[in-house]
Amino acid sequence: MSSPERTPRSRRLGRVVPVAIAAVMVLAPVLVGWHWAKLGWRDKHYNYPATPTGYTQIVNRFGQPCNSDASAISMSWPASDNGVTYTPRFHKKLGGYPTEMVSNKGGKSTNLDNDVYGHIQNDHLSQYTKSGIWGYLCRYISGTTKWSTHAWGIAIDISASYEPQGSCTSTVNKNFAYVFKQHGWRWGLDFCDPMHFQYAYGY
Amino acid sequence: MKRSIGTAMAWTVGFLAVIGVLALIGRAASNGSLPLTPVSPQVTPDAGAGEDLLVVLGGVYPTREEAEAANASMHLADLQGYYVVPVAQFQGFSEQVGVPGDFALVSAFRTDEGAQEFADFVRSFGYPATILANRVRSLGGLYAGLGQERNLDGTGPLQGPIPESTP
Repeated sequence: MSSPERTPRSRRLGRVVPVAIAAVMVLAPVLVGWHWAKLGWRDKHYNYPATPTGYTQIVNRFGQPCNSDASAISMSWPASDNGVTYTPRFHKKLGGYPTEMVSNKGGKSTNLDNDVYGHIQNDHLSQYTKSGIWGYLCRYISGTTKWSTHAWGIAIDISASYEPQGSCTSTVNKNFAYVFKQHGWRWGLDFCDPMHFQYAYGY
Repeated sequence: MKRSIGTAMAWTVGFLAVIGVLALIGRAASNGSLPLTPVSPQVTPDAGAGEDLLVVLGGVYPTREEAEAANASMHLADLQGYYVVPVAQFQGFSEQVGVPGDFALVSAFRTDEGAQEFADFVRSFGYPATILANRVRSLGGLYAGLGQERNLDGTGPLQGPIPESTP
């Protein structure tokens, strides 16, 4: 019984492939690090409150609707289609940590301003965040006397011009909805409101 | 002997009967009080009768139908916009508006901050929002949005009169 002879080509491959794999393993983190450094962004995941389920947990974690913490943090969010930079306000527990994106305004986490927004930028998805971006407002859900999650500053509407309420499909927000989900947010497409993202379940 | 056996049986039957009645009561109460989905408390509509209120005005229309149609055409994301009310429920309203019509799109507030915040929100959608220069006296009537503004102490929504709204 004889083993098959290795050809020069297979010997060359045998040397090159391990070297190529090693090079990729070394270069990949370097390239990712360079990419992050270029954008000045890190996904930090600092001090996230657990996503509440239901009204009682929302109040226990974020206080009464329209309380002063609900609009304590603001950020600039430019829309890609009309050139307008919106300034959504939101609860201080969902942002305001001193990061690259915002200055410290008494908040505690990196959730919305640094991590979600930064992640969308870093994945080159900002082209899909279009006009109509709102956060806090002390208001009921349309047609009801039930507080909207916007009244706690734990909801944000994005691309309202393109994602009408009542639509059970998404046109642009579907491209970055996964980023919100990865950071504890629920997408309103679940209840046919594709512009809406909220940091709460069961409500 | 027979008497003691009878007494024991009577106690046992009585005890089981009481347990059964309590279980039935408990079951009925449970069915009535456990909602299938979590809900928030429904807020009691507050008309602010007798108070002097700030009004954000979206338009005045001759009939309720026209006002309802105009309101339905305003899409303010998933948030509550204006309310359709007869202009007669606010004393001093018609004099300030100067436009004839029996029905108006309004949202009423007790604080300047609340009125300004809502007006800015509505305008950002390109819809009209005028804060009437002077407060109007609410005569009660239909709910016009009161309570959807921050309490001055920052603890939650404002749900009662303040000195500025008290005549």
